Amino acid sequence: MGKAIKEYIKIAIRNVRTRRLRSWLTMLGVVIGIFLIMSLLSLSEGLKGAVMQQLRMMGKDIIMIMPGEITDIVSMMVGGLELTDDDIKAIKKAEGVDVVIPMTYKGIAMRCQGEKRTVLLCGIPLEESLDMLKTDMGFTLVEGRWPVPGKREIFVGYLVPEEIFSGMKTGTQITLKGKKFEVVGVLKSVGSKQDDSQVYVDLDIYREITGEREGANMAMAKVEPGYSTEEVVENIKESLDESRKRKRGEDLPSYTVISSEKMTDIVGNVMGLIQVAIFGFASIAIVVGGIGIMNTMYTSVHERTREIGIMKAVGAKNKTIILIFLIESGIFGLVGGLGGIILGLGLAKIVEIYCQAQNLFLLKASITPQLIIFGVFFSFLVGCLSGFFPARKAAKLKPVDALRYE
Amino acid sequence: MGKKPLIKLEDVWKVYQLDSLKLPVLRGISLEINPGAFVTMMGPSGSGKSTLLHIIGCLDVPTKGRVFLEGQDIMELSEDDLAQIRGQRIGFVFQQFNLLHNLTAVENVMLPMIFQGVAENKRVEKAKKLLASMNLEERIFHRPSELSGGEQQRVAIARAQANDPEIIVADEPTGNLDSTTGEMIMEILIDLHKKEKKTIVVVTHDPNIAGYSEEIINIKDGQIITNHKTAEKVLWEKQ
Repeated sequence: MGKAIKEYIKIAIRNVRTRRLRSWLTMLGVVIGIFLIMSLLSLSEGLKGAVMQQLRMMGKDIIMIMPGEITDIVSMMVGGLELTDDDIKAIKKAEGVDVVIPMTYKGIAMRCQGEKRTVLLCGIPLEESLDMLKTDMGFTLVEGRWPVPGKREIFVGYLVPEEIFSGMKTGTQITLKGKKFEVVGVLKSVGSKQDDSQVYVDLDIYREITGEREGANMAMAKVEPGYSTEEVVENIKESLDESRKRKRGEDLPSYTVISSEKMTDIVGNVMGLIQVAIFGFASIAIVVGGIGIMNTMYTSVHERTREIGIMKAVGAKNKTIILIFLIESGIFGLVGGLGGIILGLGLAKIVEIYCQAQNLFLLKASITPQLIIFGVFFSFLVGCLSGFFPARKAAKLKPVDALRYE
Repeated sequence: MGKKPLIKLEDVWKVYQLDSLKLPVLRGISLEINPGAFVTMMGPSGSGKSTLLHIIGCLDVPTKGRVFLEGQDIMELSEDDLAQIRGQRIGFVFQQFNLLHNLTAVENVMLPMIFQGVAENKRVEKAKKLLASMNLEERIFHRPSELSGGEQQRVAIARAQANDPEIIVADEPTGNLDSTTGEMIMEILIDLHKKEKKTIVVVTHDPNIAGYSEEIINIKDGQIITNHKTAEKVLWEKQ
């Protein structure tokens, strides 16, 4: 059987080549479908990878506290909701909380070597949180040193000297709201364009510059050793509930307390769902490609009825006929699939290069052997499945009837 | 003689169903063909001789009755078993030549061997030898469209011998050829009978073949009218 397969493949290839234009058009249908699937899967996988990598840089014992409900993402992201100083205190008081870092950020004009640009200024209490930033948030310096709290010193994300103020280095003087500061450190890239473009200052200085006296956009808490993260999440919730009720008489929790692990899970799930949806839509294109193959194969069986009769007369079994036709439709799937893989992954790579060149965001096309193998098998499978009914029709032909066919 | 028949048909009926109409093409045919025989079947068109030939060649099965090939009832066999028998024991020669158009002469001859799993080198060697025996050495890489009718039929005869079958069935092999070429084809068939000891069953209108034949079966309206052995033929002709 093994030796015969080689011959059947030769016969099938010859048939595909005999009707060249039709074969190319049929394969084009598959190319489009696989092209869509491959480019979208590669890019969405790359996006997922980039987001997940950032989340994973956070330690597992980190809890995020954000104002607003997680279900109301829009107001959480853009809305002016803030955590108050009372909230921060309540978080600090909760059992099992080691350190709390209130995170505040605001877009602000920055002047450097005569140029003026708007940057995202981030205020963090350096004294308390530097250790946590280093161990749990993946903050590492590529250049310079950490600022000394109380001094007019800042450190900047990786992309700030790279792209925003080219020529900036440690020791460069900058101006924020008319006050002079010195750049003392440059962070190593954390993989996110937004984070890498931020400018960091001590919280006290931040408040001095912005005039904001209290509150924070969000806070991060580190769990004290010996406590489980989920336990502390509950403690923080309770403590916040209590504090808010007492202070303002509110009883609806309007904040989200979530562990970094949970956050990673949620984001992973959301991204996974998006991928499934993408795959679903792209599959419609491949179904159309499959119908194209089926159509071509039915036409082929019809045209080659006599040929099938001859093959049966000289000893071809039904399963041989099925096999020859399945190989033929499999070739349509496979060749179309290879074309689609090359074009799809090529497009994904172009998008990646474009994004990097334009500094839109850090998107890497995910081109893995698994994805390519999946593409090859999937397209071959589509070809074989589409060819199944036509092949069965061919095999069922009675030799005498087939020979008589004009 | 006590010679066991190679092919035996017992009360074979073939009935085609056309909507509500039943159209019997063969009506109770019984016959025996001995190994090494040269049998000619004659009859007007529509008499059922081609259908009978197809049943003898295991290309078709009867609606009723039994067909034995060396004592094996072919009605008990599956479609794939029949394909195996066609591939190994029977060679076909058709009026329309029935070569595959996208294959060269040598590839057409190799086709039956592919289905029997013959190794490539053996296939090529055998196919070239067979084509050479048909005086087609120069034409082995030509496609059917580049060959004359006589050449195509010779390729078909070479293909029919590919797996060394005992039986060769030919359905009006000279029907599409001019008389000179037809004669040449008949000589080849006669040669196969004489030298290779093949059992040959041929449907023809050609009186020359009938003249060579050991046995002539006359068919009309799906029934055997006369079945003459050559010994009897002389007498029959004199009558």
